[in-house]
Amino acid sequence: MHAYDKRELTVHDRPPLSSSSRSQRGLDGFNFFIANVQTGFGPFIAVYLTAQAWTQIDIGFVLTVSAITALAFQVPAGILVDAAAHKRTVGALAAAAIAVSALILAASPIFPLVLGAEVLHGLASCLMTPAIAAISLGLVAPHEVGERLGRNARYASAGNGIAAVLMGAFGWLFSNRAVFLLTAALALPALVALFRIRRSEIDPERSRGGPVDKSERRSPLHGIVDNRPLLVFGAGMVLFSLANTPMLPLAGGIMTMRSSQWATVLIAACIVVPQICAAIISPWIGRQSEIWGRRPLLILGFAALPIRGILFAVLASPYAFVAVQVLDGVSAAVLGVMLPLIVADVMHGTGRYNAALGTVAFAAAIGASLSTALAGYIQDRWGYAAAFLSLAGVALAGFGLMMLFMPETRPMES
Amino acid sequence: MRPVRRAAFVAIIVVAGGLALTGGAPAWAQASSSPATQTPPAPASKAPTPEVPTIPPGTAAAVLTKNKAQAILGQPIVSTKGENMGRIVDVIVDKQGTPRAAIIDFGGFLGVGSRKIAVDWGALNFSPTGKSERITLDLTRDQLKSAPEYEKGKPVVVVEAKGKTQPMPSGEYPLDE
Repeated sequence: MHAYDKRELTVHDRPPLSSSSRSQRGLDGFNFFIANVQTGFGPFIAVYLTAQAWTQIDIGFVLTVSAITALAFQVPAGILVDAAAHKRTVGALAAAAIAVSALILAASPIFPLVLGAEVLHGLASCLMTPAIAAISLGLVAPHEVGERLGRNARYASAGNGIAAVLMGAFGWLFSNRAVFLLTAALALPALVALFRIRRSEIDPERSRGGPVDKSERRSPLHGIVDNRPLLVFGAGMVLFSLANTPMLPLAGGIMTMRSSQWATVLIAACIVVPQICAAIISPWIGRQSEIWGRRPLLILGFAALPIRGILFAVLASPYAFVAVQVLDGVSAAVLGVMLPLIVADVMHGTGRYNAALGTVAFAAAIGASLSTALAGYIQDRWGYAAAFLSLAGVALAGFGLMMLFMPETRPMES
Repeated sequence: MRPVRRAAFVAIIVVAGGLALTGGAPAWAQASSSPATQTPPAPASKAPTPEVPTIPPGTAAAVLTKNKAQAILGQPIVSTKGENMGRIVDVIVDKQGTPRAAIIDFGGFLGVGSRKIAVDWGALNFSPTGKSERITLDLTRDQLKSAPEYEKGKPVVVVEAKGKTQPMPSGEYPLDE
């Protein structure tokens, strides 16, 4: 769109940085191992604490506090990453903090320590996403950003999928505690990979989407709340996460009900299949985003979600659910690349890239946290099919929003 | 007046021989000093742990060794066929304090897809004196898979060993807040 023409001017102002393949591979490895580390957190925490003789009330409280922390810190974390001189250091601190919280969980699952570990993990995770996006933007030339983010998504998905299998096996063979020891141990290769990235190759200006805005009277969120394409995209992300987050847990509940022998294996497959799928197609999506533009791919990703909801509602076989999860892989790959990419497009030249990324992530996290309760209520009152169809309806609204109001944000070729 | 819920735990969960079994159940450890225990003290010659905490004179106390009693919160359950049936997360007692059902967290992978199901207390077999400390359940995964989820504040549907389910009327529900 015309509003973004000015981006190409700045692109040609400075020669593109040719970052070394050593740095590129370092970032690949960091994405992979951080995804490994993050898999240990999430719903597995509840299983672990249950095995440690925690009551469901205490587990629920800790998980709520952790969710609120992760929500509240999104925007401040983005502002912080924009302000940070060295994004690599931010990534290293966040990785170390996540490793420490995993160690605390493994070593001493008592209430105050677990609460502290979960808060620490929430804060570190909020820093991690913008730190990785900032390093990526700083490392490559603007026309290579799509491809770089595609590579990020590939290694993150591969890391998630492999870690889910690995941690499932660890929990089964050894103990639930061993899972957190493994989680903490995997932070070491993550840090090694991170420090393979040459700090001199990360352009600080590019990594925050332009020069630092020196005018002190402006609020840190200036240029975010009045940015129309960003608002449309953010609203789309809210609807997407509202519809997407409860789908796998709901499908998992059905699988536990309909299949006794294979339920565990089928749920594992439903977690791993989308990750494999996303690992395969993400780089292609990154490349195509520079050729076709962002809009067609974004619409593909948003279209996959309502179809998935409808298929879950009408299909009976738990085995078919695994096949439907390919659609999850499609939308996960698209959104994994498009979220950091579109925000980079619309925030170009502002110097507030990470603050904007944090704001969109905040909006999506609100959608996600409301969604589980909403879907649970509908499922309880009217059954699984109604819950899936409602989620499909929300997803369809997101699709419509993208179709009607989301402009193409790819910078114009000169 | 202590909450009913708390009393339920005190009455049924007895931690014996230190915390060797669980490794870290801090709050419930105090339950072992409850005078409500009916098991007589183990003969000192058989007890492997001489570390009996000193109790103020005049307080009734019972000492339960590891092979007489066990803590059950968070303990894994297996079916008689050896299938993994999840873990005990809560216990339902009636107005007399008699255990009626155990709530188990059943199924799932890495925490996705698990459900809480109430199973008949009588279907659980505890064998603290046996060679294994495993708690077995006279039900199979197939029998549990379609059981309705346990929800607080609603009548508890208890799965019984014969395979039929028996709803506990909401009026008798012991944990209503």
